[in-house]
Amino acid sequence: MDSLIEWAVSIFVIIGGVFALVGSIGLTRLPDFYTRLHGPTKATTLGVGGAIMGSLIYFSWQEHALQLHEVLITLFLFITAPVSAHMLAKAAMHRDLKRMRETRGEPWKQ
Amino acid sequence: MNLAFVVMLPFLGACLPPLVERVSANRTLMAFAAALMPATALALLVSPAMQVFAGETLHSTLPWIPSLDLSLAFRLDGLALLFALLVLGIGLLVILYARYYLSAKEKAGRFYAYLLLFMGAMLGVVTSDNLLLLVVFWELTSLSSFLLIGFWGHQTGARKGARMAMTVTGMGGLALLAGVLLIGDVVGTFNLQTVLESGDVIRSNPWYPVILCLVLLGVFTKSAQFPFHFWLPHAMAAPTPVSAYLHSATMVKAGVFLLARLYPALAGTDLWFMLVSMAGMLTLLWAAFVALFQHDLKGLLAYSTISHLGLITLLFGLNREMAAVAAVFHIINHATFKASLFMAAGIIDHETGTRDMRRINGLWKYMPYTAVLAMVASAAMAGVPLLNGFLSKEMFFAETLGSHQLGALSWILPVGATLGGVFSVAYSARFIHDVFFNGEPVNLPKYPPHEPPRYMKVPVEILVALCVAVGVFPAITVAGLLAVAASATLGGTLPEYHLSIWHGFNLPLVMSFVATIGGVLAYTQRRRLFDVWARLPQLDAKLVFEGRVQQIGRWAAALTGRFQNGSLQSYVAWLVTLVAVIMLTQLAPLSGLDLSQYSLPMDGVAILCTAMLVAAALLTTVLHRHRMTSIMSLSVVGLMVSLLFVRFSAPDLALTQLSVEVVTMLLLMLAMYFLPVRTKVESSSIRVIRDILLAVICGAGVATLAFLVMTGETSTISQFFMDNSKPGGGGTNVVNVILVDFRGFDTFGEITVLGVAAMGIYALLKDLELRSAKYDSLGRPWARDAHPLILVTISRPLLPLALLIAVYIFLRGHNLPGGGFVAGLITSVALVLQYVASGVGWVHSRMPGDYHPVVALGVLLAGLTGVGSWAFGYPFLTSDFTYIYWPVVGKFELATAMLFDTGVFLTVVGATLLMLANLGKLSLLDDKREDA
Repeated sequence: MDSLIEWAVSIFVIIGGVFALVGSIGLTRLPDFYTRLHGPTKATTLGVGGAIMGSLIYFSWQEHALQLHEVLITLFLFITAPVSAHMLAKAAMHRDLKRMRETRGEPWKQ
Repeated sequence: MNLAFVVMLPFLGACLPPLVERVSANRTLMAFAAALMPATALALLVSPAMQVFAGETLHSTLPWIPSLDLSLAFRLDGLALLFALLVLGIGLLVILYARYYLSAKEKAGRFYAYLLLFMGAMLGVVTSDNLLLLVVFWELTSLSSFLLIGFWGHQTGARKGARMAMTVTGMGGLALLAGVLLIGDVVGTFNLQTVLESGDVIRSNPWYPVILCLVLLGVFTKSAQFPFHFWLPHAMAAPTPVSAYLHSATMVKAGVFLLARLYPALAGTDLWFMLVSMAGMLTLLWAAFVALFQHDLKGLLAYSTISHLGLITLLFGLNREMAAVAAVFHIINHATFKASLFMAAGIIDHETGTRDMRRINGLWKYMPYTAVLAMVASAAMAGVPLLNGFLSKEMFFAETLGSHQLGALSWILPVGATLGGVFSVAYSARFIHDVFFNGEPVNLPKYPPHEPPRYMKVPVEILVALCVAVGVFPAITVAGLLAVAASATLGGTLPEYHLSIWHGFNLPLVMSFVATIGGVLAYTQRRRLFDVWARLPQLDAKLVFEGRVQQIGRWAAALTGRFQNGSLQSYVAWLVTLVAVIMLTQLAPLSGLDLSQYSLPMDGVAILCTAMLVAAALLTTVLHRHRMTSIMSLSVVGLMVSLLFVRFSAPDLALTQLSVEVVTMLLLMLAMYFLPVRTKVESSSIRVIRDILLAVICGAGVATLAFLVMTGETSTISQFFMDNSKPGGGGTNVVNVILVDFRGFDTFGEITVLGVAAMGIYALLKDLELRSAKYDSLGRPWARDAHPLILVTISRPLLPLALLIAVYIFLRGHNLPGGGFVAGLITSVALVLQYVASGVGWVHSRMPGDYHPVVALGVLLAGLTGVGSWAFGYPFLTSDFTYIYWPVVGKFELATAMLFDTGVFLTVVGATLLMLANLGKLSLLDDKREDA
């Protein structure tokens, strides 16, 4: 494999992996629901995004043609991840979950 | 000309009267419509009849189910011709009679349709040349007679009588079927001709007694022979034309017809003699005795019919050729005089409004013409000289005298016959004297009675004229028909006999004389006889029968209630227990498992996935009371399963599993909305232990089974599918080609089941009202923002994208993972997202919310695709494919399988949305109620 390609793929995969890991750690370690919400959103957008970029480069090089399936996956993720995060936050506010003092903003009536 | 066509004519004709009834309520028109086909059939039979009289036997055969040796084989020999003439001829007279019998309020069209159905079935019975076909028509006569007896379904008597007749003759039909199957087994074919020619084979077979008993059960139930005679009097709840047709001329004659038909094959043994003649004798005497005490006009005739059928049965049972001739002769005579008597009874009932002979008296003054007809017919029934009944009764007496099979007890037969004659004269005398003389009518509902309409008497006149003609000039009227019918019964040979009124002064004449004098004496002494009768224990067959039926019903309900008690858990427990038992018994004898054969490589990912799968499954069970958590962990199970599918190269399954998972979660969420968030502990610990045991046994069994299958050395057909997928089915995705092509019929069945299930859910949810909780688990009211703006805004552009993907998955399905099923699920999920985001109202204002037509369309499309291959001469669901070149896309495959797959797609979309949307709509009911 061309080493340049190899480098590029590796970098993207590692970026994706790091974000997924950080996101997962955040999911378990962060103190309240609203802060924890940040973890998985990072993992789904940047984490998966990195892996997808790596895959896109790898397969485009392998098949000698531009592979766009992955772009579609990214698109769907970019559309859906914020919505699900939004819905989760709304649910949390509705249920009046406990907050850290540092968590800014006030929940309003849903 | 094809005989099958003649038999089909009444069935075709059955459609006409109801059609006419839609246009006009004119009963004459309906009668003509009903008479059209039987008259045509009769006309078509003229030229074959000539051939039969010339000594030929006509056959015609159409294959039906050759593998079962069941063919539409018909024959016309003398016996079949005789019965066909009876069925069609008397049928036509009954149609004319019923025109005047039925009142304008009654549904004459339906009545005629039933009558013609019965006529066709009866015609089929008598002309069948295949024993299985005969049984089919035999059952059809039971069914159509049920409809006819129960025609006045508003009367409880009619319903009960119909049910009783149906049960008794139906049971007999089953016994007959068993007997016929045994005959087929012994002879090797169901072809009637062969069976008739192999009488010796059957009689010498060790199964002969069983065959005979089974066939006789069929005969005796149908012909109301003792001890199955009880249904016939209750069948008198039928309209009188039905009684005249079914219970005198045709249906009850089917039993004795079968005796005649199978005479060459089964008769001639001692067992035959004992069973048939003794049953006949008992029936003859008992029914003739009981007939005398009936106050109901039709009841008297019913018992007299039973008694005459007993006489015919007795004659067949004597094992004498001449007796069989006499039996056939009496079949003809009885049909003519009894049908006319029933019609006369119907006229009397019609004109007086009652059938009670204690009230109908002295009708001679009011309807002398009908009285003459009825008196002649009942004189024929009594066996008065110069009428047809006399001739066959003389022959009957002569045959009982000639039989010596009972040894020293042979005198029983002629004595019994004479006694039967005495009673028969007595009840005939009662019929004449009580009804037409014996003082004045008592308290008639319709007073004064008068003669019926002119044409209502025509059928009676014709039949009575026949009685006289046969009685006076037997040689030139009936002799030819009797000769061919009797010779067909006897298998070709015919004994020497003469039909004449005067045989000289002999013993049979003396017996006739004794019977007549005795009968008249018995009638004059009837007061004493009635006293004796009154002291006999009375048994109402209807009550006994209904009691038994209800008892069986209660038992069945109790038994069903034990298993089907409404608890889903117990159903599952029963099912799983059965599986556990089967697996334990089947797996136990196998040798131990050889774990070393497991050859798939194990890696970290697979082990991790499996471990998570196990953990999630356990968690689901443990947390089942926290529904939400439990569902979440269930979805983990589903995800892990689809990952494992990917790992073990089953992308199709993974795709399907993933989409099914989404739909299932949605469904569970929707259902959960109506359930409490937490459930109480309800099951006892014994039950928990039982369930754990069952689960462990079944799980272990399935695991062992799976392991055995995967490591087994058996050859599979996978290689065939692999090899033929591309050349045969035109697709490289073997899974999809199997689904839509190799095993397309399976898939068709499955989508049909899916469609039926969807309809079932639709029916269950329709008009269902559920109260949902007003507050969430924390006691807060639900959020007011039901359709959050962001979700709504984002979900709308997602729809076309998702549909695009569905199309993509669908189109590539034939060659790459995908196909109609997955595409259907993706489409459904995309649409359900719109329901969730924007609400039912929003969606239904933009697209129709009825999904059951979509399901139906899908199944229909798939079915039509399958049927389409017939047009090209291929079997059902043969697929074809071709390649076309499109300008931009390039080479593109078109397969009929794709059309089939579209059917699958539509069914899946329709079924899924039907379930989800209707379940979702339930939650709106509360809002509506509040609005209202």
